[in-house]
Amino acid sequence: MSEKFVYVTYIRTTQEKVWEALTKPEFTRQFWYGIVLESSWKEGEPWTMVAPDGAIYDAGEVIEVEKPKHLVLSWRHQMRPELKAEGEARCTIDLETTKDMVKLTVTHEMARTGSKLIAAVSGGWPGILSSLKSYLETGKALERV
Amino acid sequence: MSGSKFVYVTYIRATREKIWDALTKPEFTRQYWSGTVQKSDFKKGSPWSIYAPDGRLFDEGEILEVDYPRKLVLSWRNVHFKEMANEGHTRLTYELEPFESDVKLTLTHEHDIENSKTIAAVSNGWPPLLASLKSLLETGRPLEGTTKWPKDV
Repeated sequence: MSEKFVYVTYIRTTQEKVWEALTKPEFTRQFWYGIVLESSWKEGEPWTMVAPDGAIYDAGEVIEVEKPKHLVLSWRHQMRPELKAEGEARCTIDLETTKDMVKLTVTHEMARTGSKLIAAVSGGWPGILSSLKSYLETGKALERV
Repeated sequence: MSGSKFVYVTYIRATREKIWDALTKPEFTRQYWSGTVQKSDFKKGSPWSIYAPDGRLFDEGEILEVDYPRKLVLSWRNVHFKEMANEGHTRLTYELEPFESDVKLTLTHEHDIENSKTIAAVSNGWPPLLASLKSLLETGRPLEGTTKWPKDV
């Protein structure tokens, strides 16, 4: 049994812009609680999520890259012991274009039931992806995200 | 496990009153919700229905709870597709909460029966509609992909 969170949104932009917004510090800083993701974004390379104070919140490995369509990361939380103890989750980002919009699907899953990490990210992704959509469509992120 | 449920959360830069209007009033729904309109006075116990742009009735139900501009609950039965009509009434809840200067919209669409076809269908339908609603309220323009009624329905 595994646990899964899936979130789908549609953004008026291009797949390339969504890809850049999710992977480049100058963009993530603006719509994602000021964090940056550090990685070369090559398969087999590490990635880390770094808060504005320098603390590492999440880390893992880049598993699959097919720019600008598909990105798979292994994902292990680093700050809260009970989440870290659960081990690695997997996060998949898929992008496809229909008419004037990009369909963005985030799938975050873990091979165990009752995962606290999946519960935590289920609460986090809707705000982050809503903020990303506002940022790309209006130039301004959501105030609290 | 019992029943079927779809939950979707989005955050919108608008007031709760504007989001409420956009979810219920024809002049807004026509723009982002496949050209459809809803007919209801949105009072508790009143009937409620959704019509396609060509006037065909698609969904109907009753207003179960109204707490403007925080919460709206209605019963919902698709009457167009037989396999969904046979499932009877589902339940839809909209909740609006302030989130700093923005609003958190939580939509819950559920049914008492397992593996509901209606809930499976609306699970694919809500994300583009709510994304388009957010675009309309934040940019003045809905997403083009959601403005027209599908040709084959």
